[in-house]
Amino acid sequence: MQEVAVQPSAAPQPQRKRGKNSSELKKRLWRNKWLYVMVTPGILYFIIFKYLPMYGLIISFQDYKPYQGISGSDWVGMEHFNRLFTEPDFLNILMNTLILFGLNIVIYFPIPIILALMLNELRGTFFKRFFQTLVYLPHFMSWVIVVSISFVMVTMDGGIINELLVFFGFEKVNFLLNPSWFRPMYIIQVIWREAGWGTIIYLASIAAIDPGLYEAARMDGAGRLKQIWHITLPSIRGVIITLFILKIGSVLDLGFEHVYLLLNSMNREVAEIIDTYVYTAGLRQGQFSYSTAIGFFKSIIGLIMVMSVNKLSKKMGEEGVY
Amino acid sequence: MVEDKSIGGRVFAAINFTLLALIALITVLPFMHVVAGSFTTSAEMAANKFVLIPKVWSLDAYKFIFSTNTIFKAMGVSIGVTAIGTVFSMFVTSLMAYGLSRRDLDGRTLINFLVVFTMLFHGGMIPTFLVVKELGLIDSYASLILPSAISAFNMIILKNFFQNIPEGLEESAKIDGCTDFGILFRIVLPLSLPAIATISLFYAVTYWNTYMSAILYLDDSAKWPIQVLLRQIVVLASGMDYSSTLDAAVPPPDQTIKMAVIVVATIPILLVYPFLQKHFAKGAMLGSMKG
Amino acid sequence: MKKKSFSMLLTALLTFSVVLSACSGGNNNNGTTAPAASSNEGTNTVVAEKEAEPAAPTEIKIMLPLNTSESPPDTIKNEIEKLTNTKLTYQFFPADTYEEKLNASFATGSLPQVTYLKNQTTFIQMKEAIKDGQFWEIGPYLEEFPNLNKMKPEILNNTKVEGMLYSLYIGRPLARQGMIYRKDWADKLGLSAPANTDELFEMAKAFTEQDPDGNGQKDTTGISDRNELTYGAFKTVSSWFGTPNAWAEKDGQLAPEFTFQQYIDTMDFFKKAREAGYMNQDFAATSKTDAVNMFTSGKAGLYIGGSMQDIDSLNKDLIKNFPDAVLDTHSMVAGPDGNFAQWMIPGYNNVVLFPKSAVKDEAELKKILAFFDQMMTPEISNLMYWGIEGTHYTVEDGKAKPAEDKELIEREVKGYKDSVIGEAETNGMYESYNILPGRIHAEQLLLENVKVGVADPTAALESATFTEQGVELQQIITDATYKYIYDQIDKAGFEKEVESWKSRGGSKIIEEFNASYKAQ
Repeated sequence: MQEVAVQPSAAPQPQRKRGKNSSELKKRLWRNKWLYVMVTPGILYFIIFKYLPMYGLIISFQDYKPYQGISGSDWVGMEHFNRLFTEPDFLNILMNTLILFGLNIVIYFPIPIILALMLNELRGTFFKRFFQTLVYLPHFMSWVIVVSISFVMVTMDGGIINELLVFFGFEKVNFLLNPSWFRPMYIIQVIWREAGWGTIIYLASIAAIDPGLYEAARMDGAGRLKQIWHITLPSIRGVIITLFILKIGSVLDLGFEHVYLLLNSMNREVAEIIDTYVYTAGLRQGQFSYSTAIGFFKSIIGLIMVMSVNKLSKKMGEEGVY
Repeated sequence: MVEDKSIGGRVFAAINFTLLALIALITVLPFMHVVAGSFTTSAEMAANKFVLIPKVWSLDAYKFIFSTNTIFKAMGVSIGVTAIGTVFSMFVTSLMAYGLSRRDLDGRTLINFLVVFTMLFHGGMIPTFLVVKELGLIDSYASLILPSAISAFNMIILKNFFQNIPEGLEESAKIDGCTDFGILFRIVLPLSLPAIATISLFYAVTYWNTYMSAILYLDDSAKWPIQVLLRQIVVLASGMDYSSTLDAAVPPPDQTIKMAVIVVATIPILLVYPFLQKHFAKGAMLGSMKG
Repeated sequence: MKKKSFSMLLTALLTFSVVLSACSGGNNNNGTTAPAASSNEGTNTVVAEKEAEPAAPTEIKIMLPLNTSESPPDTIKNEIEKLTNTKLTYQFFPADTYEEKLNASFATGSLPQVTYLKNQTTFIQMKEAIKDGQFWEIGPYLEEFPNLNKMKPEILNNTKVEGMLYSLYIGRPLARQGMIYRKDWADKLGLSAPANTDELFEMAKAFTEQDPDGNGQKDTTGISDRNELTYGAFKTVSSWFGTPNAWAEKDGQLAPEFTFQQYIDTMDFFKKAREAGYMNQDFAATSKTDAVNMFTSGKAGLYIGGSMQDIDSLNKDLIKNFPDAVLDTHSMVAGPDGNFAQWMIPGYNNVVLFPKSAVKDEAELKKILAFFDQMMTPEISNLMYWGIEGTHYTVEDGKAKPAEDKELIEREVKGYKDSVIGEAETNGMYESYNILPGRIHAEQLLLENVKVGVADPTAALESATFTEQGVELQQIITDATYKYIYDQIDKAGFEKEVESWKSRGGSKIIEEFNASYKAQ
């Protein structure tokens, strides 16, 4: 097996020549029968637990009453969507959502990659494992805890950060109520809680790189940075792109609980996002249809984004997620 | 990895180490606060807001949470659900991911798309509840596993890893008379240990964090997993119940108890990690195929 | 090789089918096919059993929110079962996510026979379903049950939907709110309990500026408040200022509180207090726990708006840090016009409903009501509220004194506490035996509060718009109030927000409430 190509292939392989007539297709199907058997349980799962319940989306076109059920509720057409689009704050809420999403993509997304590269460069198994374990820790703290610990640290009423600012002769900063601090607080907390956890996938794919490649590069006199740039990064490009596309798909899912806990009357103009709006307007008042319609709207935006990015990545010669 | 002994290499390593140490410190401080808080008295927690090392040590919080067997029972449920769920999920996910990673599977693009689609569109809580109910899963532990048996995200990631395995290996195995099952279990899985470890960890953590399914599908509070207890205490103790009322007939639990429950509920899942970690570090499985 | 992988496949399929069949096994216990039928099956058999053998215990399933850290063991439940000849199944669900559970169960027809809601807001949400006839109307049966019949008619009236009674209420004192303050600080600075709002402001000022804890540092503040207008300090101070409780007549029409001058005056009070540093600067983002923490860690001297009965738990935490601290309660604070006032809740904090999907017929309903009738005897209500005499409490001077083992009470009793129907006056359970002088004072103030109590006139009124959008619209006013207090908007800005409230549905709410008011 010496000669087997061991380089991880991120680039797609040329498509196998497709059979044009049905007998060839049949032959191929039969040859790959076990592959079909393998995907069957998964497909069944998605049909039963994901596609079957999707009829629930119908209620976004209804005036759904839980006790009347979907069959008994009245149809209202696009009414809920019209309500959403004519909501005076709609544009503002959509903008807030998109901005937080942008921060997630532009600031948060690269951090786990950089962190993974840094962790990978650590020498000594002990340090490697030790640091890895530490940076994962925050992921296991719920948002309630993260937000309440931040509160204790940044409050103007005796929080250490403000006490330090005063100590060094600065003015106190109103981190919690000043709208311009909401976004930095949000993204810092996201990074703190998730960045370490996010490295796992990258570390796993770095682990799959053939050390022979590094050896060869070293022979050529490439330094650390060069090795990262020419070997590590290209080797994990596939997984970066996949994660990027999937992240784009979650375009409007920014973690309801997190934002809700940070939200207050003073920062609502920048902190109200679609998810928190749904909560106040919808669930809290049992407006099932309206909140489903908003969810539907979010999903469609997500779908459009995923399809475009996926197409783009395929155009650039990458795999894409489907 | 061979040591890089050049000056540039050393400077690089030193900077890298310092930066990471700093990052580790930032991530660990709040966690230390939680651990310290669980080992001190509620008076100290209230007086000295950001405790890192307790002045007064106390085991009262742990005595309180371990004074009944509720937490052990919940822990048992969580461990069971996590273990069985992870194995089951890994099994079906690997099968599906492998099938979809093979380019000669007709319709794979469509299936992939339909899987991604489920990440974007959800039927909602009530229709899913109805499916679970129709299957007779209400109040059974299976309701914590089956409805979330496959994560589309995990499946796509795993598929991605499988795709990176050179097809030549599979071809030659096929020539040797392996079926697709043989290839998956004898070649692909052993070659993908880092990926398997990663996705297993993801599943384990998801199952460990099971909360909403337990609330919706389990009627018997004796079956609750640890997260329900954890969240109940954290929410009560943080005063963050979304619908606060005048009603304080029941004073919230002490902050120290909140911290102790977080510690107790986090440690088991943290213990999973070192077992999987060696596979991340193992690295270069493909390289080891040589010879 | 081929053979091996085939056997592997078989194992795989087998595993999968075992898992599946394990699920259908669960199916048998749980009821069968159609969703409508399955939820009823359990209760049907109960009815059949009862007919066959009259002495058999009534089986009742009860769903209720859990406000403690874990669901209680069966200690109390077993006692209740013995005394009432019932077989009870309590299904506790975390209060935090209770609405989700309630909605999912309701929409799938899986509510149990006895369904507790979560609070008044949940009750308002359910009104539409109640009107639609999803729950039993129990009004006509009440007189058959001597104990249930004792419930206070004025509170029952507040829980009626379109004039009909569907629910039993969990009673709460009408006006428990007031202030809890550091009496030791006040004494030290020579201050007495504030007689009016000006004195209240002066007290907050003195607590901030005159070093009441005597440590030589300016590290204390007056009021410790939180991110809640209603259950924080705002509404209570507002009612001292003479603002109506939510709605009041103005020029012959019902108008919302925030259109009254007194509401603006209250905002000015807090604005001044915050600017001068007499209250916590971050109160708009402070959770209840953090506000309480400020108070119990000796950083603030006034805790306003919560139940004065909380003095017990505040005191417990405070004296851990400051053994010499003394707390007291107070609520008689006159407004600028010299009048006393106190807003009141409608006398209940939750209700219990009986879904028609689970309670099949009148006979079954009566059996369940009979259970609740027994629950309203002193024996059962004491058991549910205080626990088992001798274990969880002792009787002193005809009042209940909780046992020393607070953890035991927390575990075994507290889960049931919030489900006791009625109140001490009607179900005859013990009042609590108090030791702390501030708490004894609080109990007197509770009675005083009611004498000057102001009710919300819309409690029994109907407004479809309010039911549908009330909470969402209220957000506009809440935000505007905070912004005013934080000096982000002025009076004109606030009025603009009120106009926005009106144009987005508020006007309709005003109209509808007034129509309903006149019809009364």
